[in-house]
Amino acid sequence: MITTALLHFTQWLGGTALSAAVAGHFWVVPALQTVHILSVAVVLVGVLLINLRVVGLVERGQTVDAVLDRFLAPTAIAVLILAVTGLLLIAGEPTRALFRTVFWIKLALILAAGLLTWSHRPALTRAGGDGAAISLGRKGIALAALLLWLAVIVAGRWIAYVDAWPGAPA
Amino acid sequence: MTFQDFAIWLSESRLSIALTDSQLAFPALESLHVIALTLVVGSIAVVDLRLLGLASRKRDASELIGSILPITWTAFGFAALTGLLLFAANPISYSANFYFLGKLGLLAVAGLNMVLFHVFAHRHLATQGALAPRLSGAASLTLWITVVTFGRWIGFTL
Repeated sequence: MITTALLHFTQWLGGTALSAAVAGHFWVVPALQTVHILSVAVVLVGVLLINLRVVGLVERGQTVDAVLDRFLAPTAIAVLILAVTGLLLIAGEPTRALFRTVFWIKLALILAAGLLTWSHRPALTRAGGDGAAISLGRKGIALAALLLWLAVIVAGRWIAYVDAWPGAPA
Repeated sequence: MTFQDFAIWLSESRLSIALTDSQLAFPALESLHVIALTLVVGSIAVVDLRLLGLASRKRDASELIGSILPITWTAFGFAALTGLLLFAANPISYSANFYFLGKLGLLAVAGLNMVLFHVFAHRHLATQGALAPRLSGAASLTLWITVVTFGRWIGFTL
């Protein structure tokens, strides 16, 4: 899967001033990872409360709409911060994540989990947003979304443990 | 028995050896630890931001705390359990690591802050603009962000 394009991209990225700035100081990578983890905290509590509220397990004193109102926007902002810190981490070590399958799996999981979580608002507005009216299918989607989000975290941790694609630069 | 003695004893246990032998165990434990700790910090942040008057302002603080804290405690249980097992995988290195020891100290201070909140600040929750809940929320948020920072620094300083 190592295309010439990807190889050229990582070679170019590795030569940039940005890459040197991230890789050049010991504290930058752990600091970026710390911001990354804190942003995961915002996302995870948000998607936990949203999806488990759809299922009906938490925050039953609040309407689903209220939970969506409170947590969807902060979650989306945190996902943006995760993307930015993620891109900076890649800039610091261009061949680390991009040449490992589990990283691309992680991106696919984020897309799927995000879309499913985002879909609650339009789906439930049609149903009226009342707890009793939420279908079993919608609750299944909520559980699936939460499991996908948890899988994102596992995939992220696994980047450090899997081998790169054969022929990948060090 | 000092902490170092305990670390040496633990490093020779079957648990420790099993954890170091297994290729799957450490990454799996780390993943579970990340899930648990991010839920602890995320849920505490929801409460702290309310105490600071920065989010969920329309909601009664006591009611919010009652709804969120069970999640925090459950997640903390898993974080502590996975943390103990992670420690058991390499007790000697961790027990000599400044950031690991610092993290334990910060956890103790965070716990103390929580006790102080329940003893002193809780009764002032209904009072608009009360100082004690704000101080508690600010201290809590600062402590937990520092816990995460120290935690991440362990892996880079072993």
